[in-house]
Amino acid sequence: MEHARHVFRVAFVLVVVLAVVSLARGFLVPKSYGLYGPYRYDNVKEQMNARTPAYAGAGACGECHADEFKKRAAGSHKTVNCEVCHAALALHVKEDGTVVAPPVDRSFTLCARCHRKIIGRPVKFPQVVLEQHVEGPVEGKVCLQCHDPHSPKP
Amino acid sequence: MDPKIDEPHVSAPEAAPASAAAATGPGSTRRDFLSLAIRLSGGAMVLVAGGSALGGGAAPKAPGEAYDWEEHLYAYLIDTDKCIGCGSCVRACKTENQVPDGFVRTWIERYVVGMEDSHVDSPNGGIDGFPPLQVGFIATKSFFVPKMCNHCRATPCIQVCPVGASYRTKDGAVMVDGDRCIGCGYCVQACPYGSRFIHPATHTASKCTWCYHRITKGLKPACVTVCPTGTRQFGDLKREGDPVRHAIEHDHVAIMQGHLLTEPQCFYLHLDKEVR
Amino acid sequence: MPEITGYAFPNDVHVTWSLMIVMYPYITGFVAGSFIVTSLYHLFDRQEFKPVARLAMATSFAFLLVASLPLQLHLGQPQRGPFVIVTPHFTSAMAGFGILYSFYLMVLVLEVWFVWRQEIIDRARRSRGLLRAFYAVLALGTYDQSPEAVEIDHRAIKILAGIGLPAACMLHGYVGFIFGAIKANPWWSTPLMPVIFLLSAAVSGIALLIVLYQVFARINRRPVVATCMSALASWLWFFLILTITLELLELIVMAYEKSESWLIISQLLTTRLEFSYVTMQMIVGGLIPLILLAVVVLMNRYLHDRVRNTLATAAALLCLLQVFSMRWNIVIGGQLLSKSLRGLRSPYEPEIFGREGVLMAIALFVAPFVILWVFDRVLGIEEPAGDETSGPARAAGAGGEGAAGGVHPA
Repeated sequence: MEHARHVFRVAFVLVVVLAVVSLARGFLVPKSYGLYGPYRYDNVKEQMNARTPAYAGAGACGECHADEFKKRAAGSHKTVNCEVCHAALALHVKEDGTVVAPPVDRSFTLCARCHRKIIGRPVKFPQVVLEQHVEGPVEGKVCLQCHDPHSPKP
Repeated sequence: MDPKIDEPHVSAPEAAPASAAAATGPGSTRRDFLSLAIRLSGGAMVLVAGGSALGGGAAPKAPGEAYDWEEHLYAYLIDTDKCIGCGSCVRACKTENQVPDGFVRTWIERYVVGMEDSHVDSPNGGIDGFPPLQVGFIATKSFFVPKMCNHCRATPCIQVCPVGASYRTKDGAVMVDGDRCIGCGYCVQACPYGSRFIHPATHTASKCTWCYHRITKGLKPACVTVCPTGTRQFGDLKREGDPVRHAIEHDHVAIMQGHLLTEPQCFYLHLDKEVR
Repeated sequence: MPEITGYAFPNDVHVTWSLMIVMYPYITGFVAGSFIVTSLYHLFDRQEFKPVARLAMATSFAFLLVASLPLQLHLGQPQRGPFVIVTPHFTSAMAGFGILYSFYLMVLVLEVWFVWRQEIIDRARRSRGLLRAFYAVLALGTYDQSPEAVEIDHRAIKILAGIGLPAACMLHGYVGFIFGAIKANPWWSTPLMPVIFLLSAAVSGIALLIVLYQVFARINRRPVVATCMSALASWLWFFLILTITLELLELIVMAYEKSESWLIISQLLTTRLEFSYVTMQMIVGGLIPLILLAVVVLMNRYLHDRVRNTLATAAALLCLLQVFSMRWNIVIGGQLLSKSLRGLRSPYEPEIFGREGVLMAIALFVAPFVILWVFDRVLGIEEPAGDETSGPARAAGAGGEGAAGGVHPA
């Protein structure tokens, strides 16, 4: 096969290239890849610690704000989490413990998001046509003039 | 449904604040602040429960240690009859998960249906609620449908990921490894429900994770925590007496685009035929 | 923000697969199509394609070198592109890209080497200094030009063409599979997709070769061989008929079955894609070349060479447009419709500058021609005047080589 020498040379070059690529690949595959499936298992832990939870649920608010908590629990907003109208706990109590006044929208816009009568809401859900429900213009904190948001039934 | 189902599910209702405290993070001053609050409110059982949770350190629970993913199999239940379209869930998700503007991890759709026509809208995913609407036909029914990633069991999005960045955990959540994703966008195309997007800052795929960082600590996803009407419920199919499991097993539930056989794990009660 | 007609899922309004993803199948289409032509000669011994066989192989090679660029440019994290080879997830057709591309690249590099080996040796002998060292490395240090070695070369070429043809077809077919296997998108989901992609790749490859053959013949001042042109035109016509038939068939079946997606797809075609689908893909790029080529093929005997060349080249240019529109309509069109099946977004306007912009697309299309030019300078695309049989005989006829082997200054 003396005349095939060039073929062997080319084949050799090819084998070397493939070997280098396979070797490199071996170093580049992440260690936890393939443990439980074709993914990097370390990511599961990373996802569990991806961030600090921002919302804590109404129970956490009750520890400092017991009065409002009790009033809410006895009224018709008892299923409404405090954080729906007030901000998430993480925006109120920072990680280092400092307490910041949470942003709260006291205008009718916030109430209207749930209680303005629009097509789509279940019929039995308490909703009003604001312009007919309120005497005078619908602006500012008009809902709060008659309703206590923690126990809204007037 | 018991409204308390929205609270984090632990053994005793009084322990709820304690687990919330443990979950809020590793900062020591915050821990101290909350443990002081716990002692003020009294209750030795609360103190012990809070103490053990806090004493274990706010160190993250890794699989094999405190949290074992083999012990859970999550599912989600939505009752469209109850949804009022307030958008609290969309806002909570955005705050909890830093969802970028212009994209949503969960959203709400409003359906207005008549005999001749139907109309669907979702202004910004419903993040600011819904405006009043006039339709050009006689509407006989209307309702809201919350949607998110269905965390399917036989999902096409994992099937098409070329590098194994998309995967499903043993406890049933479909996740994206942000460090592995090459941003090819194939999974975004393959999802039949439109729940994925390419994050404009990281240029990798992103979607609802069922708040994995919360559910592995015993909390509920943020959207479930804030839902004021009990529309959204989160459950564990491996837990005895779980109400979501009970509903899936015994009530008439529907899934989206069932003909595609993706086996979604978000189940809907009272779903209308107009919803895709 | 894009405008939506009807209702689209909130995340659906963004076109993720951009102009780059339109360019990628367009470029790999040329790779596969050119390779089909060169294999018709090297593998199936169709002598009428001999005049374009080497040009076709060089074209396939030039486009192959550029083929991975549109993908790299499109990735959200381009530096992670190699992950597709490091941790390929084989349920994904896209993971096949790394393997298929590397494999086909290997096969084509080997085949180019065997076909041009004699030129490499000749140029190694003729040059001095650095250039000689370069050619010597390319020749891998062997200078065997004996008839036995040439015979071995021919056998190797045939084997490589036999391996390379299915590899080239798979390299382009898998792109069709990527679209065809997405059940979520009704415009894409069909088993016909890989076949349609491959057939239109053949159309684009043959069309490009017709145009390049004319150009190179003019540059090298050689006559265009009539049998070659009519063979190219025949095969182009044949593949064009198949492509258009399957594309239309898909549409006809969808319209007949009237499944839930038909309403929005018909709206897509008549509003957003009216120009690119009906006008460009079907009429300008479909019907007109079909007629032109019908004339060329059916009236071949009666045609003057110049008429044949003109008609065939005109048809070829239109076919190039057709294949581009087809890629555009599939890739972009499929993303204009929302998975809600209730809405369409406004037409996609690619950016001019930027990583995935129009200028980049033009650069990607021009780059393989630059590579072809370099290829011609380094190795010489056309065979030198005379046979490609024995080296020493050719070296003796060195006088005729310079004129025919290089690109003349423009």
